[in-house]
Amino acid sequence: MIRRMIYAIAFSFALAVTMAASAPPQADGSITGTVKVTGQSSNADVVVYVEHAAGVFKPAATPAVMDQKNMKFIPHVLPVVVGTTVKFTNSDTLAHNVFSPDHDKYNLGTFGPGLSKDHAFAKCATFPCAYVQLCMIHPEMEGFIVVVQNPYVATTNDAGQFTIQGVPAGQYQVAVWHPKSKAPAKAVTVVAGKAATVDFTLGK
Amino acid sequence: MNAPGPCLRRLVCLALAAGAAVVVFPTRAAAVPAFARKYQTSCQTCHILFPKLNAFGEAFRLRGYRMPAETEDMVRQKPVSLGAPAYKRLWPKAVWPGELPGNVPLAVNLKFADVNTSALNEDGTVASVRNDFQFPQEANIFAAGTLGDHVSFFSEVTFGKEPDGSVSVELEHARLAFDSPFGREDLFHFRIGKMAPNVAAGFQEMWISTDAAIDSLFSFNPIGVRGGTGLAGEGSPAPISLPASVRGIEVYGIINHRVLWVGGVVNGILPASNDAGRFDGNNAKDLYARLDYKLGGMGLDGDMGGKEPPAENWRDNSLRVGALIYRGDGTSINFASTDLEGNPLNIQDLHFLRYGLYASLFVQNLNVSGALLHGTDQLRLFEPVSGGSLGIIQPDYRAWFVQADYVFYPWLQGTFRYETVKPFDPTVLSLRTGVWNVSALVRANVKAMIEYQRDLREGRNHSLNGLVRFAF
Repeated sequence: MIRRMIYAIAFSFALAVTMAASAPPQADGSITGTVKVTGQSSNADVVVYVEHAAGVFKPAATPAVMDQKNMKFIPHVLPVVVGTTVKFTNSDTLAHNVFSPDHDKYNLGTFGPGLSKDHAFAKCATFPCAYVQLCMIHPEMEGFIVVVQNPYVATTNDAGQFTIQGVPAGQYQVAVWHPKSKAPAKAVTVVAGKAATVDFTLGK
Repeated sequence: MNAPGPCLRRLVCLALAAGAAVVVFPTRAAAVPAFARKYQTSCQTCHILFPKLNAFGEAFRLRGYRMPAETEDMVRQKPVSLGAPAYKRLWPKAVWPGELPGNVPLAVNLKFADVNTSALNEDGTVASVRNDFQFPQEANIFAAGTLGDHVSFFSEVTFGKEPDGSVSVELEHARLAFDSPFGREDLFHFRIGKMAPNVAAGFQEMWISTDAAIDSLFSFNPIGVRGGTGLAGEGSPAPISLPASVRGIEVYGIINHRVLWVGGVVNGILPASNDAGRFDGNNAKDLYARLDYKLGGMGLDGDMGGKEPPAENWRDNSLRVGALIYRGDGTSINFASTDLEGNPLNIQDLHFLRYGLYASLFVQNLNVSGALLHGTDQLRLFEPVSGGSLGIIQPDYRAWFVQADYVFYPWLQGTFRYETVKPFDPTVLSLRTGVWNVSALVRANVKAMIEYQRDLREGRNHSLNGLVRFAF
C-alpha cells in the first residue's frame, strides 16, 4: 500500500515535470501571416518586423553571417538587430569585394576564397536601416542587410509566409521592408501563448 | 529625305501606261516572336493578324517594347543583370546598371509567294508570269528587346532574291532607343539609328494588312522636267516622298495617354551615285514632325482609364487623327534627266515639303484608315556639263489612300485599299490602284494570304498572289 502511494506520487510528479517542460512559455506569443508582393515573381525576402518594442536589445553574441557563393549574397536579405556584427564570408573560388553606399558607408575591400570580413552595424538613425551590399568586382551581385530595433523580425519564404516567434504579449505596429515594394504598417495585438495573424500586400 | 535602299523584291511591275510607271513594293512588315518568347504569350496579344498591331501592341511598341503597367512577373524569361540597381545611386562613380535579355532575342520571318502578274510594256506587249513559286521570297531575322529600364533596341536583316537572281541582304532596321529617360513615363523617347519613322505611324509596316506597300505615299518620284510622272521604278531615281525608312534621330512621346508627338532629324536623299561612301547625299538634314490625337479606345500608352479592354483583341472603338510634315533638302544632289526633246539635263530637288493628314477609325470589327499627302518640290534644272541654269520649277502632287480591314473571325480578315497619286505633269493621268486581300491565320504565327492588285486605269496591269508568312 505504501509502496503504491510512493509510485503514484512519483508518477504524478514526473508527469507534472514533463508537462511543465513541454508547455510553451506563457508570456510570449507569435506573429504569423502571409505577404503578397504584387508584380514580383517571388514573395520571398520581405522583412516583417515589429517597428518598436520596449526595452534594450543586445545583439547576438556570435556574428550573423552573409556568405558569397556562386556570385550571390546568401541570404539575399538579412535582418539584424542594431549593434550586430555581420561576418561576410567568401565561399566562392574567386575574390569578392563588399561595400555599401548607404548610411555610414563602408568598403570592406577585396578578399579571396575562404576569407571573411566583419562589419558592425552599430547605429541606425531611423529604423529600419537598409544597407545594400554590393561587389565592385561583380556588379550584378546584390544583397541587403536590414537593421531593426528589436529581434522580433522574420523574412518571408517564396510563398510569402513568415512567423515571428517569442513576441511578448502586447500591442505592436508590424511593418514590412522590401527593396522594391512597400505597404503601410499594421497594428497587431499579441496574446501570450497564441499566434496573431497579419497579412500584407505590397505594391509600388 | 532618306530614300529606301535597293528594292529587295518587286512583286508586281505594273508597267508603263500613259507615260507613268507604277512599281509596287512589298511591305517590310515585322512580327517579332522574340517578344512572345520573352513574355510567354501569344502573337494575338499584340497583333490582330500579324504584323498589324492592335491597340495593345501599338502601346507596347511606343513604350519601347514594354507592356503597359509592366511588372517583373510578366517577364517570363528573366533578364541577365549587368549591375545591381543600387549602382544608379553611385553614378558617375560606377557604370549605370543595365540588363541583357535572358535568351538571345532572335526571331525569324519567312515569306513564300506564288506570284502571278500581268504587266503592259511600253511597246504594247503584255508580260505575264504564272505560278512563279518564290519559295522563299524573303527572310527576315530580327533581334529586339530591352536592355534594362530605359533602353530598347530593334534590328532587322532582310534576305531577298533580286530579279537578276542574286540574293540581296539589307540591314532594314538597326536602332537603339532611350525610353522615358527622365520626366513622366512615356512623355519622352529618344531613338537613334536606321528605323521606320513615326512620321508614318499608322500606315506602314506594322499596320498594313496587305503584302503590297502603300506606294502612293512612299514611292513618288518628282524628278522630271514637268515634276515627275509617277512612282519610282527600275532605272529611275529613288523615290523622293515620305520616307519608309530613315537614318537619324527621332524623339517622340505620349501626353496624357492620348496625344502622340514626334520630331526627327535625319539624313536626306541618298547620294545619286556611290559618292565616297557617304550615307547622305549632302550636308543638309531633313526634318519631320507629327502630332496625333486618339479619341476613345485604349490610350496610346495602353491606359484604359480604369475600364476593361474588350475581350476581342482586335476591337478598339476609337478615332485617331494626325497631322504630319516632312521637309527635305536635296541641294547639290544631281539627278540625270532629259528635256522634252530628249536632251540631257540635270535636276536638283532644292527643297521639298510633304505634309498631310492621317485618320484611323475602329468600329467593332471594322477598321477604316487613310492618309492624304500633299507634296511640293523646288526643282532646279541645269546643263550637265556647263552647269548653266535652265530654270526652276515648283511642281506639286497629291496622294492619298483609304483602306478598310474587317475581321470576320479572329483568324480571318478581309482588306480593300484604294490609293491614288496625282502628279503635277498635266500629260499624266492619276495613278489609281486597288488592292484586295484575304488573310487567314492558319496558326497564330502562320498566315496565308490571297492578294489581288489592279491598276485601275489599265486592266492589263494586275497581279494575283498567294502568300504564306510565318514567324518563329
